[in-house]
Amino acid sequence: MLSQLANASALELAQRPLRAVTSNPARRIGITGAPGAGKSTLLGHLALLRRAKGRLGVLAVDPSSPKTGGAILGDRVRMDELDGASELYIRSLGSRNTSDGLADNLPEMLDAMDDFGFAEVMLETVGVGQVEYAARAQVDTLVLVLLPDSGDTVQAMKAGIMEMADIFVVNKADLSGAQKMAADIQRIAALNHHDPGSWVPPVLLAAASQPASILALSEAIDRHQAWLGTSNRQEILHEQRARYRLRRLLEMRIAQVIAQHDAAFFAAPLAEQLLLTLEMLGRVSVRP
Amino acid sequence: MNTLLQTRPALAGKRILIGKPGLDGHDIGAKIVALTLRNAGAEVIYTGLRRSPLQIAQVAVDEGVDAVGLSILSGSHKELVADVMTQLRELKAADIKVFVGGTIPAEDQLHLRELGVAAIFTADMPLTDVVRILGERLA
Ligand code: B12
Ligand SMILES: Nc1nc2c(ncn2[C@@H]2O[C@H](COP(=O)(O)OP(=O)(O)O)[C@@H](O)[C@H]2O)c(=O)[nH]1
Ligand SMILES: [Mg+2]
Repeated sequence: MLSQLANASALELAQRPLRAVTSNPARRIGITGAPGAGKSTLLGHLALLRRAKGRLGVLAVDPSSPKTGGAILGDRVRMDELDGASELYIRSLGSRNTSDGLADNLPEMLDAMDDFGFAEVMLETVGVGQVEYAARAQVDTLVLVLLPDSGDTVQAMKAGIMEMADIFVVNKADLSGAQKMAADIQRIAALNHHDPGSWVPPVLLAAASQPASILALSEAIDRHQAWLGTSNRQEILHEQRARYRLRRLLEMRIAQVIAQHDAAFFAAPLAEQLLLTLEMLGRVSVRP
Repeated sequence: MNTLLQTRPALAGKRILIGKPGLDGHDIGAKIVALTLRNAGAEVIYTGLRRSPLQIAQVAVDEGVDAVGLSILSGSHKELVADVMTQLRELKAADIKVFVGGTIPAEDQLHLRELGVAAIFTADMPLTDVVRILGERLA
């Protein structure tokens, strides 16, 4: 089922009936951050802690090779190493043609997890660079995992940083520099103005070897989930998801049409290339 | 047509689980094969060392793979392969193809084939053959 969804073309996806966004949705928790930040390890520990709250599923994205499309989907090795992990449902995804940290047809797969009856879905993104966090709108609660030496990342995000995630975690707090890193983020955060009733992202320290730190993170996720219920944030997210979905479908379709052009096509003036391509896009009936 | 499409890699679109059942810690072959299959276009999932046949079968089902490749250098291939096949059947996933690699003596290969193994690979086989045979069996 998920494989069929993952492989579906833009036109096939467009055929699927639109579902009501409110039909029994799973809580969506995203874990993002640089490669090697410890996302898989942290997610594994969190998942084992949080599965008591209802059926929990994990979607973990690893990068696909742009050359061959192949991928080593290695996130689950870290999770499988943990005791009790064999009871978790983990699905590994290649990023395929998507380059924003997510995977092809991820919105549809997240919807499918709702339909399968999961109470919570945890999503691990590809290790993202800096600011292109498409995961932002796909999940309800986004956790950004930083390292004790992520100073450059934080500097680059500066004032905008508080919009990047709902919870900040300085991970591998067993290494030196974590306290200072957390303090730096707090300082930047303090420069931001917060409206009353708005969510103020906490900055937490975590380490795989410190269960109390994982528990504190899990509780922060719960607090954010509770806050969501008191705000109009969910409506904004749903609108952003709808926009992302349409844009992704179009991007996929455009890539498909451009792949069909032969070499001679590109000898024509650019304006003509554009018009012809738009015409081909418009001509297609929405039947696969 | 687009040249990229003409040279579609042999294992493009395939999802393959590389599993190491039992107690053996020889993982060099499994890792080399994982990289080789990745370079041939497959999405490769690796279970890590020392998984039980049930864990491997369950991961294969959860991940919706086309094939399971077992890497066994412990000498216990007959028992481990039979167990994985049984677990796959119990999970109603007998359609997932099973391949085996490692130290498999020639005299045991027929037995494994009779258990339903789709192909067997040993260290004397060039990696290009591994890719070609997997591509044929999964076509
Ligand atoms: C290197 C090695 C080690 C290393 C392992 C390092 C590591 N992290 O892997 C070390 C030194 C740790 C080691 C230890 C031991 N080893 Co040792 N080891 C070997 C050795 C010399 C080479 C294995 C190897 O890496 N080959 C290179 C790789 C690339 O080849 P490969 O694994 O066969 O994989 C190829 C193919 O088989 C195939 N393939 C493999 N898997 C898969 C999967 C799929 C899906 C596909 C398509 C293909 C495929 O493709 C690969 C590429 O061509 C072999 C001897 C041999 N000639 O095989 C003994 C050997 C495997 N070891 C053996 C033994 C007994 C041991 C020990 C028990 C020794 C001891 N008494 O302590 C320990 C146990 C370790 C453990 N925890 O399990 C025996 C096993 C006997 C048996 N099968 O009945 C062997 C055969 C030596 C012998 N002749 O007695 N070992
Ligand atoms: N020191 C330390 N290392 C960790 C911690 N968590 C994970 N690691 C290590 O960091 C590396 C990358 O972890 P992984 O979870 O795969 O990171 P990901 O790429 O972000 O998913 C692995 O070698 C882990 O063992 C931690 O809390 N402290
Ligand atoms: Mg990871």
